[in-house]
Amino acid sequence: MPVSSPTHPVEDSVSKVNDELAVGSDLKFQQRWWKFERIIWTIFTIFIALNIAGLFGRGPLAKARMRAADGSIDVHYERIERHQSPSVLSVQFGPNAIHDGKVQLWVSESLIRTLGNQRIAPQPETSALDRGGILYTFPATTPPVSVEFALQPASSGTANIALGVPGMRRVSAKVFVMP
Amino acid sequence: MYTVLHAIGGYFLLLVTLRVLRRRPGAQMTPFEFVLVFLMGGIIILTTMDHDHSETNAVMGVITIGLMHRIVAYLRERFELARSLIDGKPLVLVQDDKWQDLAMRGAAVTDDDVMASARTKGIRTLDRIKYAVLERNGAISIIKKKQ
Repeated sequence: MPVSSPTHPVEDSVSKVNDELAVGSDLKFQQRWWKFERIIWTIFTIFIALNIAGLFGRGPLAKARMRAADGSIDVHYERIERHQSPSVLSVQFGPNAIHDGKVQLWVSESLIRTLGNQRIAPQPETSALDRGGILYTFPATTPPVSVEFALQPASSGTANIALGVPGMRRVSAKVFVMP
Repeated sequence: MYTVLHAIGGYFLLLVTLRVLRRRPGAQMTPFEFVLVFLMGGIIILTTMDHDHSETNAVMGVITIGLMHRIVAYLRERFELARSLIDGKPLVLVQDDKWQDLAMRGAAVTDDDVMASARTKGIRTLDRIKYAVLERNGAISIIKKKQ
């Protein structure tokens, strides 16, 4: 037995131009839409400008610096990171941080885990777990001496990082990782 | 999980961005539109797939985008407002021997664009056009004057 499909009559449901051409245009709606477009493009332009400035990372506003009060370390980092995007955190040591041809640096675990430390240059001589972080020992002679951490955050969110030379003042900062 | 979220985000981002572009890519695929479609597509692919190149991830991404398309198609078919927001509305560009300036300017369509469509209908001059309508898909429909 054949199946009958439902039907309904064809009606003149599409608005006409000059009462002869069914177009379904709506200039009023279109004008509202163009206004909406202008608002969207204004927002997009603001986003682009903020991005160039570095508010979403990788720009002048994202770059930050923190120095220990006793001058033991000077850290250059990015206060706004991006998920899976590589960046560099560099630590410069003051003369008072070098002892017996070596310099030690303690970093919080968040630098390794949340900010995804990939490499350290130069390679530390030793590394040891120490009070919720890692204590690195580097061979060093005379200043300027610096160490670089290649970061690549594995997840987005906020991370509190802290660094310091044992027995000296620590520095800490909040880093936001953009998705 | 991230692939699914990125695919949903990417789908809507592309939908909104392409929709707010005045010249709608689609029916008139000139190099101007090809640049947009390929470049935007390439950028979205990178973040959607992340660093996971597994088949599972690819399958999830494809299925998610397919599902989004189904949902948007359903909304479009069911609601007039959704149809207007997603596809826009046709715009009359030429009517009664007059260019509709507001529509032309708003849609960033020039008389050359209208004439290009007219030629495909065998029309040689603009004065033989009775109506020109910019359709939802970006094509320009031409209706000739009666002889």
